[in-house]
Amino acid sequence: MDPSMVQQTFKAAPLTTEFFLQGSVMENSLETLVNRLKGLCDNADYQQESFQDHEMVFHIKNTSVPTPLVFRVRHSLVQTECWSLRYLGHAEVGDKNRPTLVRSYIDCPTSENVAQFIGELGFRMDHEFVVKGFYFHKGRMKITVSKFYKMNQPGNTTNDTIETVCPSYLVELSVVTSSGQEAVGDDMKNFAEQLKPLVTLEKTDHRKIQLAQT
Amino acid sequence: MGVVCVFACPVPEGKSGQQVVDGLQKQVEMMGATKSGNFLVDCETYQSNPQNVTQTPQQCVVNILHNSEHPASCFSVTESGQILVSDLLFEDLMSKLTMAKAGRESFYSQRKGFKIESRGQRYEVGDFIIKIGSVSLASNFRGILIEVEYCPCVILNECWNMMKELLQSMVGNSAETPPPVLKHKPDTVYTPSDTILQYLDHFNNFRKAVSAPPPSR
Amino acid sequence: MAAPYSQFSPSPTPVNVCVEAVLESQIQEVRVVEKPDAPDGHEIQEVYVPPLSMSENLTKLAQKIDFYKDESDEKGKPTSEGEKEEEEKTGAAFQPSLWPWDSVRTKLRTSLTEMSVLLDILNVSSSKEKRYMVLDPVQQNAPDPKLAVQLMSKRRALQSAASVLQSGAERLRKSHAEINNKNDFHLELLNVRQKWRLKKTGTSILGDLSYRSVGSRYMHNGVFEVVKSSDLTAEGEFLAQRGSLDVVVPTELEGGAYIQVEVKSVPGNCITDTMDLTGAILRVPSGIGPVRSETYWQQKLEKAQNVLFCKEIFAQLAREAVQSKASIPHLVVGNQIITNVFPGIQLSIVLCHSTGKEREKKLPQYKMDHNHVLEHSLHQLLRENHFKNINFPAPHPVTALVGLTKKRRLAGPNALSRKQLMDMSDSESMLDQIIKQTKHNVLRLRTMQTIDGIAATLSDPQLTVHWSCCNSSTEASCRVIITSQGYDLRVWHSFVIIIGVDSLKVIIKEGRVFFLSFEEKELQDFIMWQVSQHQISVSQNLARLMGWQIMSTSTAMGVSDLESSGTASSLILAAPNKERILAIKSGPSSGIKVFLQQSQKDNKNRVILPDDKWQSVGADYQQVDLSKFEGRNFASKLELLLATFSHDLSSSSS
Repeated sequence: MDPSMVQQTFKAAPLTTEFFLQGSVMENSLETLVNRLKGLCDNADYQQESFQDHEMVFHIKNTSVPTPLVFRVRHSLVQTECWSLRYLGHAEVGDKNRPTLVRSYIDCPTSENVAQFIGELGFRMDHEFVVKGFYFHKGRMKITVSKFYKMNQPGNTTNDTIETVCPSYLVELSVVTSSGQEAVGDDMKNFAEQLKPLVTLEKTDHRKIQLAQT
Repeated sequence: MGVVCVFACPVPEGKSGQQVVDGLQKQVEMMGATKSGNFLVDCETYQSNPQNVTQTPQQCVVNILHNSEHPASCFSVTESGQILVSDLLFEDLMSKLTMAKAGRESFYSQRKGFKIESRGQRYEVGDFIIKIGSVSLASNFRGILIEVEYCPCVILNECWNMMKELLQSMVGNSAETPPPVLKHKPDTVYTPSDTILQYLDHFNNFRKAVSAPPPSR
Repeated sequence: MAAPYSQFSPSPTPVNVCVEAVLESQIQEVRVVEKPDAPDGHEIQEVYVPPLSMSENLTKLAQKIDFYKDESDEKGKPTSEGEKEEEEKTGAAFQPSLWPWDSVRTKLRTSLTEMSVLLDILNVSSSKEKRYMVLDPVQQNAPDPKLAVQLMSKRRALQSAASVLQSGAERLRKSHAEINNKNDFHLELLNVRQKWRLKKTGTSILGDLSYRSVGSRYMHNGVFEVVKSSDLTAEGEFLAQRGSLDVVVPTELEGGAYIQVEVKSVPGNCITDTMDLTGAILRVPSGIGPVRSETYWQQKLEKAQNVLFCKEIFAQLAREAVQSKASIPHLVVGNQIITNVFPGIQLSIVLCHSTGKEREKKLPQYKMDHNHVLEHSLHQLLRENHFKNINFPAPHPVTALVGLTKKRRLAGPNALSRKQLMDMSDSESMLDQIIKQTKHNVLRLRTMQTIDGIAATLSDPQLTVHWSCCNSSTEASCRVIITSQGYDLRVWHSFVIIIGVDSLKVIIKEGRVFFLSFEEKELQDFIMWQVSQHQISVSQNLARLMGWQIMSTSTAMGVSDLESSGTASSLILAAPNKERILAIKSGPSSGIKVFLQQSQKDNKNRVILPDDKWQSVGADYQQVDLSKFEGRNFASKLELLLATFSHDLSSSSS
């Protein structure tokens, strides 16, 4: 086979658009939600999948515009050989008819020296945190229920040096696909309906949150 | 995946690159090698715009290479030799760095006329894979690179002597010692990154020689 | 009933008080017997305990004697009698004032006291205030003089209890019948709901029997409808026996279905001549006939689901058969898929589906050669497919794309080579997998038959075969051992056959590996070749034992007639006294032959070299007729031959 063709098959149709909805639950209603998700999702018969990731957020700054370009390094603490470098675009709220938030999303699996590498490119680490939670999927929809921990010692992800940021869990429903597949949004909307009133997944306008903080 | 050595094959005066390649191919076929497709190693270079990247005052260079032998991978090498092996999606991330957006100039930009590649025939003979590639810089012929891979072994020292014999028959005395990139790790396990570093080393040499007049064709 | 002695009777003059037993037998049980002519449909009968015989009565009475009391009385007696004796002896001198009836008086008084105590107790216990004293019935005091009265009251009580129960039962029955008539549909609907996915659309209740929720991607929607069977009673034939709920499955899923897998051997290589192109032949064994109309809904739905599953298998296979780019195309005709497994061997996969209506029409007595193992494999393969469709490995880190395996995710960072990536992306179609399994199946059967055939016909040496229990659907192995009877522990030859998908791998004793094709002739030839070599090794072993010298041995003899397959092996032996030479030739097809060369002492032609040592040079070989030797097999015959020639110079044979 022609090498360029092989490359093509593995490159085919870059999935770089993420449709997503967000919501949150308090710790005490977690169990109810997880049980509901177990019933709705595809991997119901098996032991539920949990995950633990360490995320480092890197910024590269520019003299002309103050907003930095952000790359995120994720490292699985379950499968420690898995590292990835991720870019997230700005979440577009769009008009009312659009059921979900949309952002560009590039997740590139890399070798483990990615943090040093992008350091040499001029990136500087801004902050880091640990995420723990549960993972479900329904078809190509991914549902994560995750809790965030701040790290008291830089670079140390062991359980005794991290502490929770807040007692609630972030619930995210997302599909990463190629751009223009808007139909996915309706499926997600329907799924989100099924989770009411345990959790309300909605289009959360990130800019408003940022404005509220400042 | 075995041990790979890459050597440049000198193009003697009065011969064109194509003639030398033909001669080498004939020689390899005489050994009983069979053709097994084409191969391509390419390299693109990006450099930082220092006025934009506030954290690093000096200019950074990053080379992005692909090897058709590893079609799902993208290799990125910085000047210090830090090599990142990643999915092909890394190019999309790179494009975020080279993209100028919202009044912001790009952090990195591609160096014009620096795209270099080695492309040619791939042969298999017994446990060896031989690749004869002609190197072109911005689609101008620059020289010949010969890659020999010995598949059953992953430690250079264990098989260097055997590879040397084969290499010397093709590239002459330049294959007296292992490639300089591999000198520091004769007893460790060989990785695909080492191949890329060898190619990058050769590519840099070819680029340096650009100022000199190109060899006759 | 009768106390022999009253407790209170004075000892010197016992008064016998006799109490007669009631002349009525005890009641053992009371039976309620159905009797139509009785006023309330039944009658109560009493069964009496048969009256006691004299001896039984005696034993019963004996049990009632309180021996302790008697003993104390006995003790009392001797003292009082002793006193009396003393009285008589000593006269009235000591106690003259004692009144002669004094003892009687005392006894009477104590008895009076006891009686009044008893009366008090009875008064207390029979009073309404039960809290002071409760009388427990004493087991031994069963005899009740008022037995008849008690029984009568018991009988009355039982009768009233029975009537209460009966009226209650009647009421329950009535209410139950009411429920049956009205609400049963909902109860059954609840049952259906617990086992199947139902949803209400408009006025109808629809259910889903497709496999989509477990990963199927078959396009049939598999919808059934739940109806009240009372809606259908208008049509007449439906009856109450079946409950009030019925399910309506799509007509194409009615009846029974199964996938028939058949491995046929087709004489000759021409496919189209012999191929059964008639397609839709229904061969439905009685066991999975159509669903009887009175079958309960569960069974009906299960069968419909099975039909759906079989259809999915067939559709998948048919699609793959059409898409595949095999050198010999697979044929899909009607409900049949025919593929060539080996030259002359076909695999036919037929979807047998009977809707139940045309059932009686066609039932030709076909010789069913249905392969249950392969049918099961097909079911298994489809279920695996379903599983893979919805079960993805979890992404780590969780931000990675869904649906990629860990290996694929790490393909970039690990710099997988082209070949590794190709292997990863290749997924075998179900048809290819089933063809592989069929090939293996056929090959294993063939190998088994070939070995068994040879083992049965070969008497010298013997073949034994051990099949390994560790095998998979595409690999099996066995060990074949060749032995000569009587010499099994001395020399044995063995080789292992590993049966793959379309070739055999044979590993012989010394580690050489042979690859054989699917043709059984190759295996036959190989075994015969091994047998011929076994004979040589037996000979070699015997020769060494008897002190003969091995002069040369060869497993591939270059001279003599060509064997039809394999090579003949040879062995040349010299007798211990160097006067005879034996040459043994063993070929797979020519069998074993033994030649003898002996020195000819009287060789007059040898004038040039008269010395003895040249005697045997150039002498002729003569074939030894082994059939004239005693012995069960070649090994024992050869042993005899070697023994004969070892020492004796004068004897000669052949």
